[in-house]
Amino acid sequence: MRKLLVVFLIAVMAMSLFGVKITIIANAVKGGKNTQVVDWFESFIPTIEEDLGVDIELIQTGIKDEDFKARIVLDIKGGGGADIMWIDGFWVPEFAEAGYLRPIDDIVANIPAWKYYYDSMKAMGSYKGKTYLIPAGTDVRMIYYNKELFKKAGLPVPWQPRSWEDILKAARVIKEKLPGVIPIQLNAGTEMGEATTMQGFFMVLLGAGGNLYDWNTGKWIVKSSALRDTLEFYKKIYVDEKLGDADLQVAPKAREKTFELFRQEKIAMYVEGTWFYTSVLSPNNPSWGFPDRDERIGWAAMPGRGKPGDPEFVSISGGTGFAVNPNTKYPGLVAEVLKRILYLEPQISYFELKPFVSPRSDLAELSWTVNRNKFIAETSRALVKYTTFRPAFPVYPEISFQAQLLTERVVTGQMSIEEALEEFAQAVTDIVGKENVEELP
Amino acid sequence: MRGSAHHLIGKKTGILMLLPSLVLIGTFLVFPAIWVLYMGMTNETLTGIRAANPQFVGLQNFVRIFKDRFFYNALKISLLFVFGSAIVGQAGLGMTLSVITYRKSKKFRSFVQAVVILAWIIPEVVVAYLWVAFLDKDFGTLNNVLHWLGFEKINWFYDYPVLSIILFNTWRGTAFSMLLFSAALETIPPSYLEAADVMNVSPWRKFKDIILPNIKSYIFTDLILITLWTFNVFSPYLLTHGGPSFKTELLPIYIYRNAFRYFKIGYGSAISAVVLGINLALALVYLRLSGRGARK
Repeated sequence: MRKLLVVFLIAVMAMSLFGVKITIIANAVKGGKNTQVVDWFESFIPTIEEDLGVDIELIQTGIKDEDFKARIVLDIKGGGGADIMWIDGFWVPEFAEAGYLRPIDDIVANIPAWKYYYDSMKAMGSYKGKTYLIPAGTDVRMIYYNKELFKKAGLPVPWQPRSWEDILKAARVIKEKLPGVIPIQLNAGTEMGEATTMQGFFMVLLGAGGNLYDWNTGKWIVKSSALRDTLEFYKKIYVDEKLGDADLQVAPKAREKTFELFRQEKIAMYVEGTWFYTSVLSPNNPSWGFPDRDERIGWAAMPGRGKPGDPEFVSISGGTGFAVNPNTKYPGLVAEVLKRILYLEPQISYFELKPFVSPRSDLAELSWTVNRNKFIAETSRALVKYTTFRPAFPVYPEISFQAQLLTERVVTGQMSIEEALEEFAQAVTDIVGKENVEELP
Repeated sequence: MRGSAHHLIGKKTGILMLLPSLVLIGTFLVFPAIWVLYMGMTNETLTGIRAANPQFVGLQNFVRIFKDRFFYNALKISLLFVFGSAIVGQAGLGMTLSVITYRKSKKFRSFVQAVVILAWIIPEVVVAYLWVAFLDKDFGTLNNVLHWLGFEKINWFYDYPVLSIILFNTWRGTAFSMLLFSAALETIPPSYLEAADVMNVSPWRKFKDIILPNIKSYIFTDLILITLWTFNVFSPYLLTHGGPSFKTELLPIYIYRNAFRYFKIGYGSAISAVVLGINLALALVYLRLSGRGARK
C-alpha cells in the first residue's frame, strides 16, 4: 500500500512536469453503439480531471465486439494501449494467461466499494487467484417481444411461454397473420460471434438441461441429447418451418441488421440480454431506440424445453468491467481514477443512462427498486435466480466458435444435425484433446 | 580502363549499385517470408498461454491445414475468383476496351480510359461502401431500380456471392490491364494494320494474326501481375465479411480469420506460407510460358 502511495506521489510529480494523460478505452461511440457510455464519461470525467489534476481521454470505438477485442490485444502486444480498458469479462482467462492484464489486487484493496461486490462477480473478474477486472455490470437473458405485433396477430399480451413449443406456437401465429414479419430471431452462425453462443445457443441448450462443459468431470461435452434437441429446435425454426430468417444470420453485419429490423417492427420475438433493452432499444439511442419502448416492447423469461426434469426458465449472464493495461506508466493514478469511477454517485448516474444488473450490493439495493428502473428491478428479481455463467477457460472462445459453426451448419441446411455434431465433436476433440471430452446420452 | 568493352560499368560498381535494393528486398521481402515460415512452425497465439510461451511444433500446422476443410474451401474460391475476376474479367475486359478504343479518336479513348481509371483510383473503403450501397438486398440502388421496374428484389450477396465479388473486382481492377494493353498496342507498327486494311482483312483476323502475336509478351506480363495481385486481394471482405457462411472466404480472408479473429497467429502464418508457395508456383509457370512465347 505504501509502495502504491509512493508510486502515486511520484506520478503526480511527474505529471505536473510533463502533463500526464490517462486513457480509457471502451467499445462505445457517441451517437452509435453504447452512446450512453460516452455521455456518461463526458458528464463526470471533468470532475475527476480537476480532482487529480490530470487529463483523461476516452478512446471511442463502437465496433463489433470481435474487432474491439482484436484491437485491444494488438494494442497491448505492441506495448501500448489505453491505461484503463473496459472489456468483456469472459476475455479475462485468455488475456491473463498471455500476461495482457495487470493484476489489480493492490488497486482494489484501496477501493472502498470493493467490499460490496458479489463473490460471483469477483470470480468473473479473477483468474487463478488474482483479480484482473472490476465488474461494471452484469446482465440476464430473456425473450423480448413486440407487443403491438402480438396484439395485431391476436396473441395474448402479456405473454409468458412455458416451453419451446409455446414459443413455436406464437411464432406460427405471427407467420400466418403477419406476412413480412420475421416471427423470431434466435441468433445463429459465426457472423454474430459470441452473441450467437450467449443469446442463442446457450439459451436453448440450458433449457434442455445441457451445457458445453461438465463441471463434475471437468470435461467438454461433444455429444448429448440436449445438444441434439438444441439443434432440432434451431432446425425447426430456420429450416423446417421457416419461423426465422436463416439468410439473415449469415449476412454481413447480421447483428446490426437484426437490430434494424426489430426497430422497423419486422421481427416479433428476439432472444437477447439486458443490454438489448437498456442500450439498443433505449429511447436515448438515435439508431435503434423506441421512444415508447416501455409500452411497446415486452419481455418474458426464456422457458426450458418443457420435458419433465427440464429447468423451468433459463438465463445466462456475462458482464463487462474495468481492467488495467500492464503497459500503463501510472498505476497509481489509474487506481485513483478507478476509485472515483466506482464512487456511488457516478455509478448511479451511469445506471440512469444505461441501466444494468448491478454487480454490487450497495448499488443493487438502490437499483432493484421499481422506482429507479422497473425493467431492471423486475428482470433481476425474476431471472437472477436462474442465471448461470459461461465456462470461462482460456480455451472457451475456440469452443464457442465451434458452437457457432454448429448452429450455422444446421440453419443454413449445409449439414444434417448428425453430420454437424460429428464435425463439432471432431473439432472440439482436436482443440482440447481426447482426454478432455466426453459424450453424454 | 579495366571494364570490358561489353560492359558500361565494372562488376564491383554494379554490385555496389545493386546493394541498396538488395538490402531493401532482403529486409522487406525475404526476411518476412522466412519469418512467416518460422512462425508457421510454432503454435503461437495472440492470447492465452501460447501467447506468453509459444512452442516450436514443426510441421504440425501444415499437416492440419491440409486436413482443414476451410482451407480447401478458401483455395477453391480463390482460384475461381482469380480465374473469374483477373483472367476473364480484368484481362478480358481490359483487352476488349483497349482494342475497341485502338485507332479511334483521341477524345473517345480519353473518355473511356478516364471512366475505367476512376474505378481504380477511388480508395478501397469508399469503393466497398459504394458496392454495398449498390447491391444490398434491402436498400441497394440496383434492387430499388429492379423493384421500380417491377422485378423481384435479388439478394446478390446471398444468392450470388462469388459472382458479386468477381464483378466487383473486375470493375475495380480493369484499368491496369486496359492501360497496359493500350500502351502495348501503340508498339505495333501502324503499317501492319494499314496494309491489312487495304487487303480488307476481317477484324477478327487482324486481332488474331496481327495484334495478338505482337503483344503476346505484354499479355503474359499482365496475367502474371494481376493473378498474383488478385490472389492476395482482401477487399471483398469489406463487402461480404467472407460470408455468407464462408462462401466468399478467399485465402487472405481465411488467413485473417485465423490470425486476427481467432488469434491463431502460428496457424495463420502457416497458411500464409502455403499461399506464398502457391504464388511462387504460379509465377514460375507464367515465367516459363512467357519465356517459351518469347523464344518462338
